[in-house]
Amino acid sequence: ETHTQYERVGADVTMKCGSMDWDAAVTWTANGTDIDESHLNGSYLILKNVDLSQSGQYSCYEGSSWHLKYQTNLRVGTPPKEPVLMCRSNNYPKGFYCSWHLPTPTYIPNSFNISVIHGTKDMVCEKDAVPKNRCHIRYLQLFSTVKYKVTLTVTNPLGKNFTTLTFDEFAIVKPDPPESVVAKPVPNNPRRLEVSWQNPSSWPDPESFPLKFFLRYRPLILDQWQHVELSDGTSHTITDAYAGKEYIIQVAAKDNDIGTWSDWSVAVHATPWTEEPKHLTTEAQITETTSASTSSFMAPPTTKICDKGAMVGSGAMAVCWTAGLVVAAYSVLFI
Amino acid sequence: MAAAESPSAALRRRDLCSRGIRLAGKMRADVVDLLDAYVEQQGLDASASVAAVEGVPLAAVERWDEQTGTQRLLENLAAYRAFRALLAQMLEEQREQLGEADTGLGRALAAVLLQVSAFAYHLEELLRLESRGIPGEEGDEEEEEDGPPPPPRLSLFEQKLRGLGVLRELAQWAVRSVRDLRQLAKPSPATGAAPGLAESS
Repeated sequence: ETHTQYERVGADVTMKCGSMDWDAAVTWTANGTDIDESHLNGSYLILKNVDLSQSGQYSCYEGSSWHLKYQTNLRVGTPPKEPVLMCRSNNYPKGFYCSWHLPTPTYIPNSFNISVIHGTKDMVCEKDAVPKNRCHIRYLQLFSTVKYKVTLTVTNPLGKNFTTLTFDEFAIVKPDPPESVVAKPVPNNPRRLEVSWQNPSSWPDPESFPLKFFLRYRPLILDQWQHVELSDGTSHTITDAYAGKEYIIQVAAKDNDIGTWSDWSVAVHATPWTEEPKHLTTEAQITETTSASTSSFMAPPTTKICDKGAMVGSGAMAVCWTAGLVVAAYSVLFI
Repeated sequence: MAAAESPSAALRRRDLCSRGIRLAGKMRADVVDLLDAYVEQQGLDASASVAAVEGVPLAAVERWDEQTGTQRLLENLAAYRAFRALLAQMLEEQREQLGEADTGLGRALAAVLLQVSAFAYHLEELLRLESRGIPGEEGDEEEEEDGPPPPPRLSLFEQKLRGLGVLRELAQWAVRSVRDLRQLAKPSPATGAAPGLAESS
């Protein structure tokens, strides 16, 4: 018969070899490995100031016969700290969910119990299968001024702890971020970007409970965001984009009347339409071939392909070796 | 049996609903500001729980989504009529406390009272559109028979707490009214009548 024994980190643990007398000759093993006699007091095993690494199976055998006399699974852990609890309604007016976690692990099994009270009424929070530390409640009443009180108690073999949240029906309403955000350039419009998105799929009735939106955008090269608040519709055209610059765009949502803003949506990138520089491309090719055929060993002044340390030659003919290689390659091509 | 709504009636209903939604939205914003001013001026704790006070219509409702259009309108009307009387009483108590001095709080209360009256009237318009009789107000009966005994006079503190309860419920009602009117404004898919407004037989 195997027992399980839970002990706190740092505790001193004494294990008895079942019903064996104190002066009986025994051998203790930890996970199959013999334990040195220095840890024994008679037939008792003494573990001082236990740490997590000492968790495992401890077995006690009678000295001569090697009969297994006692076995225990030692689990070293800690009592639970105050849990972190959060409640939110992302599917108003259907209901809300609460989720929780421990700030630090206990290393031993914990059980959670949640109670929800609305005024004098007890409500049942149905546990979700996935994720584990979450439960949901359906609203039985809407527009109530009576607060909800949620108490979460966490218990393990070494102790218990709890936390309480009190809130209004409206205060915890926070939609999920908008979905399917798309940003596209507008043909022949170098300063415009067309952005569209969809209501979060978790919001059950956008017709009766419309959402409003907040759009933010900035060119990648700048830190400051531009903001636009939109009271209806799921699209917007940015008309002041910097030409040719890549933009990052995000959208957030909020119930039109109550609650708080969602987190920002996944960011999308887009660059406004720019005209194709066809004639410029041709000119550039001509310039390159000309400079190659004149066999100049001077690197073009605008290019920065070399450090000072990579220069070879001296004076006016000094050129960095990488530039020299490039020009030499072109020269070979056009000979 | 559902009576089909004429196109002009449907348009009028939608128009009344959108205007009502705007009225309720503005009213709510003003009530929230009034609530903050009230809490501060009366020296109350904003997070204090106030037990449900008799005569204050509670916005809380079960099975809200199952209500018919008629139910919504009637419940809203009853509530705002009650708030009209409660706010008038609060204004009276304010004047008694502070004399005839024209205070910011007094003016804000009067402004909200005006909006509540206007909204009640707006609801009556919607009921008229539905060809429903508008229920008489309870005050009418007192002239004909011995009225109920006057309620016991509240202490100053009790008056303040009651005022907090009134304003809080009014703020909730303003949100509920917006939601109710949005439901009313929805066109019904089958008959063309608003969902719930058509009576089932």
